[in-house]
Amino acid sequence: MRPFTILFLVAAACGMFFAGMSTWDFIAHLDRDVHDVTCSFIPGLLASDTSASSGCHVTMMSPYSSVLRTTVWGGIPIALPGLAVFAFLMFRGLDLVFNRREDDKRATTFLLLATVLPALTSVVMGYLSMVELGAACKLCIGIYISSFVALAAAVGIRAQGVGEDMNGFGREFGLSFAEGTGFVLIPLLIYTIMSPDYSRFIGTCGTLPKPEDANGVLIGIGQQVSGKSAVEVFDPLCSACKGFEGRLNASGLATQVKRKAVLFPLDNSCNWMVSNTMHPGACMMSEAVLCADAKADEVIAWGFAHQEEILTAAKANPDSAKDMVVAAFPDLKECIGSPTVKSRLNKSLRYAVANQLPVLTPQLYVDNTKLCDADTDLGLDYALTRLLEAPVAAKENP
Amino acid sequence: MNAPVHAGLAATCLAVPLLLVGIGVNGAKAQLAANEASASSEPSVAIAAAADEGYCSADLKKVLRRVLQSCGLLSSGEVRGCQPLEAKSVATLAGSDFNALFLPLADRAGIIQFDKESAELDAGDLAMLDRTFADQRGASYFFVVSRSSPEGSEVYNRNLSQQRGEAVLSHLQATFKDADLNKEVGILWLGEEFAQLDQEFCSWQRSGSSEACQSQDLNRSAFVAWIDCRL
Repeated sequence: MRPFTILFLVAAACGMFFAGMSTWDFIAHLDRDVHDVTCSFIPGLLASDTSASSGCHVTMMSPYSSVLRTTVWGGIPIALPGLAVFAFLMFRGLDLVFNRREDDKRATTFLLLATVLPALTSVVMGYLSMVELGAACKLCIGIYISSFVALAAAVGIRAQGVGEDMNGFGREFGLSFAEGTGFVLIPLLIYTIMSPDYSRFIGTCGTLPKPEDANGVLIGIGQQVSGKSAVEVFDPLCSACKGFEGRLNASGLATQVKRKAVLFPLDNSCNWMVSNTMHPGACMMSEAVLCADAKADEVIAWGFAHQEEILTAAKANPDSAKDMVVAAFPDLKECIGSPTVKSRLNKSLRYAVANQLPVLTPQLYVDNTKLCDADTDLGLDYALTRLLEAPVAAKENP
Repeated sequence: MNAPVHAGLAATCLAVPLLLVGIGVNGAKAQLAANEASASSEPSVAIAAAADEGYCSADLKKVLRRVLQSCGLLSSGEVRGCQPLEAKSVATLAGSDFNALFLPLADRAGIIQFDKESAELDAGDLAMLDRTFADQRGASYFFVVSRSSPEGSEVYNRNLSQQRGEAVLSHLQATFKDADLNKEVGILWLGEEFAQLDQEFCSWQRSGSSEACQSQDLNRSAFVAWIDCRL
């Protein structure tokens, strides 16, 4: 066995390992529960990520971690075809060794072409990860490196081969391509068939008993177009709300709901329902959103963009959140902190009381039916699509 | 090419993703079923609720319920405020009831001091009223207990007290446009014949001059407070 072949097999094995770990992490979430995510180049030797805000977690919960999300709960993890491709490369590499084809130009040429696929995919996924998500996942980096090493090794294998006979390459290519396609499609098919039926959970997580907004506390957010009405229980300084907003926009479903936010800051300076302030400055930011009214989206977007800075500053000095938001939106200065907006924020909290909402953000109620908390991340596209497709609830006669 | 070797290698390598999918998905299915089976009927997170502070003892709630019923806040909400005569049954308990209800609220209450023979709210009164009303937190009921000092006739003072209570309510209605106001705000307008505030209340948050804290100053007033009790 030649050195480049050994290198190729090692790269394929590493690729299988990293893609397999990533697939395993993803599959663990199919129980709709919260799980740690492997966040190490040497899984098992270092502690798993429990922060829910690391690059590993951000990447897994991003819309790029899986495909066909509206068809399959959570979608099909992109790491699974990755695993299948590396398994195929391993097969082709072993085939070179056991069938003594290291000098067969047709086999080594196909191997080289086959390694271009994971390398190109790595470039695209790496770009999305760094540019779109601004996050890096260590297992993903392991996959990228394995892909490029496999490509380099395949170039070496082909260059070292002494054979020149390319007769019948078209047939070889066709058969091998079919094998590769089978390697990818069979696991995907099995995954899709085996996935649990999640449709039974849709619409079973509660409703809004008193959705009427008598005090005008609901604030229109998102792209207001036609579609079902939705109420989002929302804290502008909650990182889960920020993540949810990103996933909702990425799903393309945000334009299919007329969303209104009920502000529910997890900050005990205004919210008596929380004993500890989880998000210092959230009351002030909520007042800013209420004050902005028609421009609420701008304030929310600004708050999301500066979430960490605001939380850190407000933890040291509770008034700094107001200073920061007023610096960005000077026209809100008089309104923030005024009795009127404080009272309005209080009414927003009392909307939650009237509807006996869980003390939790974010929550989304579509046509008064709750999107289950377990469906707000990986299962969002699947569950929300079905909530949107459900018949409109009949209004009770007065 | 040795076809059996080729096929054997293909099957071996393909088995890796298939086994991982099979074992992983079946494990998740089993965990999902276990989660469903163990799901308790009790919610795992707190449910939003109005405040019920530590001072809301059973005795205090009894008094509160009686006052709220007098003011119509616990019935259909059609009654707005309490007539003095209706309140008399409440006010005959004034010493103990008033103290039971309002003494725990030293940090929450405000005393709006009116000018003599006036039911007008000046800028200082309005600022304190707005601040106190906006600081609702989880409270469910807002009391306005208006009064008048003993100078003048009983009827005159009763009317003046009513005007003071209504001035407060009108301002709240105009400023806060709160759809729940009728279910939250109870007004007791008390004439001179009811319990008078003593100088113990001088240390409480008051509008008007801080020096003006004789008995007659304190009782030309509307006492406003949120009550953080849930019935």
